[in-house]
Amino acid sequence: MKLIKKVQVKNRSGLHTRPATTIVKMLQNCKCDVSFIHKQETVNAKSILSILMLAAKKNSKITIVVDGEDADQTLNKLVEAFDNQFGE
Amino acid sequence: MQVGLVEEVIRGSPICRGIAIGKLFFLNRKEFAASDTPIHPNQTEREVERYRTALARSKQDLKRLQKQLEAESALEGILILEAQLEMLHDPLLTEEIEKEIRITNKNAEFVFQQALFKFKDQFQALNDTFFTERFKDLQDLSRRIFSYLNESGGQSIKDVLPHSIVCALELTASDAAEASSWYVGAFITENGGATSHAAIVAKAKGIPYVTNVNLEYLKQYPESSIIVDGRTGKIIINPGESTLKQYENLKKKMHGQIQDFKKAAKWPAQTFDGYTVRLTANLDSTQELDLINQLGGSGIGLFRSEYMFLPKYEVPSEEEQFQLYYHIVEKMKELPVVIRTFDLGGDKSSLHPTNSLGRNCVIGSRTTRHLLKEKDLLKTQLRAILRASEFGNISILFPMIATLAELREAKQLVHEAAQELKMKKIPRIGCMMEVPSACMVADHFAKECDFLSIGTNDLVQYSLAIDRSDQMLSEFYEPTDPSVIRLIKLITGEASRLNVPVSVCGEIASDPRFTPLLLGLGIQELSVAPRYLPIVKNAIRSVSIVDAVSLAEKALDLKTSQEILQLLVQEYKKNVPHDLFYNIS
Repeated sequence: MKLIKKVQVKNRSGLHTRPATTIVKMLQNCKCDVSFIHKQETVNAKSILSILMLAAKKNSKITIVVDGEDADQTLNKLVEAFDNQFGE
Repeated sequence: MQVGLVEEVIRGSPICRGIAIGKLFFLNRKEFAASDTPIHPNQTEREVERYRTALARSKQDLKRLQKQLEAESALEGILILEAQLEMLHDPLLTEEIEKEIRITNKNAEFVFQQALFKFKDQFQALNDTFFTERFKDLQDLSRRIFSYLNESGGQSIKDVLPHSIVCALELTASDAAEASSWYVGAFITENGGATSHAAIVAKAKGIPYVTNVNLEYLKQYPESSIIVDGRTGKIIINPGESTLKQYENLKKKMHGQIQDFKKAAKWPAQTFDGYTVRLTANLDSTQELDLINQLGGSGIGLFRSEYMFLPKYEVPSEEEQFQLYYHIVEKMKELPVVIRTFDLGGDKSSLHPTNSLGRNCVIGSRTTRHLLKEKDLLKTQLRAILRASEFGNISILFPMIATLAELREAKQLVHEAAQELKMKKIPRIGCMMEVPSACMVADHFAKECDFLSIGTNDLVQYSLAIDRSDQMLSEFYEPTDPSVIRLIKLITGEASRLNVPVSVCGEIASDPRFTPLLLGLGIQELSVAPRYLPIVKNAIRSVSIVDAVSLAEKALDLKTSQEILQLLVQEYKKNVPHDLFYNIS
């Protein structure tokens, strides 16, 4: 199953080290492929370096693409994390 | 002793007192260059395995460090390590590199380094300083990985042999922080001022430090025996037998003196005619908390909160800050803890993401005036402090305030934060006196503060219009300038009329030669680097308040900084003749 959703980066410093760490940790055991699209750049969301290199600041928009058996669950978890600003 | 070697003396500027005897170690920060070695196709799997092992060993290292940091409650550090651990799992560093080794049939060092170059370019192309800086974490990690591949990575202070005299063009605060006084005998640098943050950290660890030395010259003596005298700035190359004996003896005696002074930790900080001073410590790292308790500090007079998060580049969350402040008050039990809100900008610009890095802004948008524009950053910190204040004796100190309006705005934020938290009791609020404009209206400040704290490092630089990080100006940076002494007098005079206590927390507070002068000027609290608690306490106990007051009167009449310094040096020699650190014959 392939799912696509657009989210907004809400925390003050953007997708910096702390949120990026949270994201890759969260995706460690998921069975689907996850990518982030930002400014026409598509990256593997399981790679912390790739997320950092997106340099996504506060208020930037990220398109999440999940593809695989637990896509639904994974997407929900990610959206929730973006929404609560990664606990910051 | 080798025969035929000539004893030679060169001079630098002394920064941190103490004696070291050892060999030179040149800290070489040049980028490490991996050689390009082809691998026989049937050896590639072994090469991949070697790379995997290096990653696995790096991972073990990081896990161990993480435990260590947890024990020290350095939460921000743990986060950085966690990010590095995730990088070790990153497909770009695992699968991609392995694939590349197999395709190119090249050695792992070379493939890994090529990948790093690529990352470096990509990060630098980001056009956003904050994200570009993140490459440093990867760079840090890569040194560790290189060190586990056979060839050695970039040198680190952690690699030096015991008693090395570490030479570098310039020292960073984290170099000094990483250095263990067991391995590093002394520091020698070409650049770096007495109040640079590296110097403050070196002092905190008691590592002798001499600057303004021509390193090219020293490079001729890689194997020579060297003596560093951090009291005078003297560096002795190839010392003769008698010189060596003399310094070994001196070093031993100085060590003995430290032990003697330490024994007095339990005695009160009181002049011999019974005037009691509050002697507290400056805190830069939670590792020093036990030391402060051992050395009899009666609280923390200045917690430089931003140091905890340097050089980590990221703004800590409220919860992380709360945990840290809570840990400190818990350790200090009922003793007072003064938390200075983030002092950012100037020479510590790295924490704030939107700040333009590398730009000198000592008189620009920095510290409180900067935070008043970034209210949520300051508010977050204040909330964390307020929450921690329920568990101990906390005061809030605002740095770099120039006008009363700024103070009022900052206080307003404290009240807002307290309201949000539904807290009725608000901690004591104090203000740093380090901008001459604030000192001139000290009475206004005293009326609206619970205490005042004089930060002499900045006060000197702003009074004399001298950028303290500028090498060319270092000889003009004189804390004994008559203007500075009079400003201190002005503040204590106004504050004492209103019964508001005044403390001093700059570098001069840790210099025992200044102790009688400061007491005589009416200072009731000295906050010093933890390691200096014993020597300053000894200075307090060796003087009478009557003599201190007349010394201050004399100093207030003198016309030049040199005359005042001379007076202090003579007085100290008279009061504490047996001190080997500050009396130099």
